[in-house]
Amino acid sequence: MKVADAVEVLATTYQSLDFVAQGLEVKASEVAAALAKAKPDTVEFVCLTALSKYNPVSTEVASSEPSE
Amino acid sequence: MALPSKVLPGFVASMWMQTSAAPFTTANLAVWVAQVTTIVGTSAGGTGASGTALATIEAVPAFGQDDAVASFMVAGARQSDKIPTQSAPTSMTITAAWNPSDAGLLLVRADAYSGLVDRTYVIAAYDGTNTVAYAFNARASQFQIDAQPGAEAKCVFTLHPRGNQYGWSNS
Repeated sequence: MKVADAVEVLATTYQSLDFVAQGLEVKASEVAAALAKAKPDTVEFVCLTALSKYNPVSTEVASSEPSE
Repeated sequence: MALPSKVLPGFVASMWMQTSAAPFTTANLAVWVAQVTTIVGTSAGGTGASGTALATIEAVPAFGQDDAVASFMVAGARQSDKIPTQSAPTSMTITAAWNPSDAGLLLVRADAYSGLVDRTYVIAAYDGTNTVAYAFNARASQFQIDAQPGAEAKCVFTLHPRGNQYGWSNS
């Protein structure tokens, strides 16, 4: 699902944002990028904040063991 | 939801209600600019274009959540079990001086007669410069007028917040 579509769903719902955000499948990196651009105190910011809560950007830790 | 970013050192609390029965969506309840500010009047730091004050409020008892209990009974058994469940939101029973010309109270009374009208309410804390607002959607009910001759007439009504429909915002 596109982030913009997910934001639209969240912006128009009367249900719990947490509840709805858990069911929306979006890419964490796209959510993080959109959240970085969003202005605080806007509907987009509130929705993206809810999405980012359940779609955190995970950074892979490089293995310290030498590979053969 | 955005959390209040400021601790108000001294403030005036006031309550506001939407004049049109078009409750905000959950996300908009947490947005001050162009949303919650339109309900809060200028006397509390808002713009107030689509809201009216519940100015005569005298008392708002504690509200929030309470433990809910589910009761079970087996037919023919003498004892029943009460099992604690998830906490349930309590309603807000408000006492206000009754003024039959007050626009806000008349809206609340009409909503209570209907029982089906959802509306956005805002509790605003204003320190003269900034406002912290708690907005929620609720239905009104149990509107009663206490017109004892020995005292000022009062009205008592209950707001039933809709589940999960609330938000914090600030100016």
